[in-house]
Amino acid sequence: MSLLSQEIIDRVKDRSVSKVIATLDEDGAPYAVVSRFLQIGENGLLVHLELLEKSETNRNLLRSLWYEKKIAISVGDLVIKGRPVKAHVSGPVFRQYYEQVRSVIADADLSTVWLIEPEEVIDETYAIRKRQEEEQFPFSVHLDRLTVATK
Amino acid sequence: MAQKTTTKLGEVAARYPDVPRLIILKTDVQRRGVFYSDAAVGLLDERLHQTTGTHIFGSRDGDLTLRPESLLLRDGSSIITTPTPLEEDPYLVDVKEGVPWLFDDGVALEAVDYWPAPDFYSKTANSGVPMKNIVSARPQRLNIFPYRYCTFWNNNKGCAFCDIVSQLKKGGKELNIPAKLDPKEVSDVVGEALKEPGRFSAVFLTSGSIVSGQTPFDDEIDYYVQILQEVGKHFKARKFPSQIIGTAFTKKQLQRLYDETGLMSYTSDIEVLNEELFNQLCPGKAEWIGYQEWKKRLVDAVDVFGPGRVNTGLVAGIELTRPHGFMSEDEALERTLAEAEDLAQQGVSTVFIVWSPRPDTPLGNQKNASLDYYIRLARGLHALRVKYRLPIGYDDYRHCGNHPDSDLSRLLPY
Repeated sequence: MSLLSQEIIDRVKDRSVSKVIATLDEDGAPYAVVSRFLQIGENGLLVHLELLEKSETNRNLLRSLWYEKKIAISVGDLVIKGRPVKAHVSGPVFRQYYEQVRSVIADADLSTVWLIEPEEVIDETYAIRKRQEEEQFPFSVHLDRLTVATK
Repeated sequence: MAQKTTTKLGEVAARYPDVPRLIILKTDVQRRGVFYSDAAVGLLDERLHQTTGTHIFGSRDGDLTLRPESLLLRDGSSIITTPTPLEEDPYLVDVKEGVPWLFDDGVALEAVDYWPAPDFYSKTANSGVPMKNIVSARPQRLNIFPYRYCTFWNNNKGCAFCDIVSQLKKGGKELNIPAKLDPKEVSDVVGEALKEPGRFSAVFLTSGSIVSGQTPFDDEIDYYVQILQEVGKHFKARKFPSQIIGTAFTKKQLQRLYDETGLMSYTSDIEVLNEELFNQLCPGKAEWIGYQEWKKRLVDAVDVFGPGRVNTGLVAGIELTRPHGFMSEDEALERTLAEAEDLAQQGVSTVFIVWSPRPDTPLGNQKNASLDYYIRLARGLHALRVKYRLPIGYDDYRHCGNHPDSDLSRLLPY
């Protein structure tokens, strides 16, 4: 069963919500770029379309698949951690996305259709995280916020 | 199903943590071959999948029965499979939960896909020959095998591992594959293939050597030029992504090939990187060109095609065959990589295929090398590409898929 609730799916589908994919390079340094075509695939997997074969992100995703390293995708205030599980470079799935990309960007190419399995979803919405912090870590709150209001 | 940890594959993967397990698996599948179960063959749908029969070389079981042409792994790389009899201990392709999987000793290792059939495979050329028998496909490459004979066999000096001639006889009789293709018809099929969006990223040619001509191999060059010129008519630019595996041509011949066609890269397979073994195992190549001259012509080709556009291929494992081969894998590795470095520092890359002993060949009753050997060779050849900064994009997983060493180079930024 997918980790992605209908609310998350709706956010992924919302074109006004920014999506960023973060991967790790050979040295473990993070590398984050906008994932313009991020979408929901079959079986609750995320689909990231990588247009360029030799891009840092494409190579990092391959490294993640080969060596079982996690990646992260932010969808607005949500962070989805997961792993690339499959790279389509040919066949009907690839063709479907190839035509989609080319319908959006003139003369675009598509290197790889990455299927990413979500493993963890973290809601980084400030109001939610603030409440969690104040409940779990009361000693990190600045006292001036807790004082009785003075006239 | 729990993964068995004591498989040989697991032991080798533990010894080489820097090499992806998928590449180790692919290499071992090539090394040991595959057997397709009836259920796996039952999943085959000729409308959706490529089936065996179009290749220039044969299989390890010598059979032309309908089977999946080859496999795709989940990292997008291919395994070029050679169907192998069960008694030779191949991997098994069987069905699990409705999809094909690779099994070893009863353990399910990886889900795989069959190569997708391109649109043009269902069509027939004007001559009545199925288009797939004129131009075949890999997942992203168009294969043109214009001449399915090698004239080194005229005086029985073909390479000791090669079954091109016996495969031609089988293919001609049983599959209606023309021995020599008409360049115009090839071009027509390529044009049809290119209508499929997002399918192909390179055109590839290879044939047997043709020794005839005003100077040796001129006829082979003439033929390639004719085909590439016809195929080139489909492209806007003069040069288009393409690779040829040809004989080691003279610089004058290479220049002609480059100047008169859209060809962008050149491969000439030396097969084994040792002069004595080359003379023994590739007597036709030795007779007509010679080992040192073959190497020189590869280096000359860099002047013509440019650095990072020329390579040579090895049939890895034949260097260990009896009675002439190296006595140990350590020695074979050391001497092979030394020769590969000599070429690399002059701009020539080396790739290998895992030798698959085929029944209709002089070496057919011998065994290939250990999995450790192939992994060490892949690492060594990849390291040379890193050291000398040699791109291999024209012969990588997208365009060939048969070289574990160039799979490793996928992570390189060039």
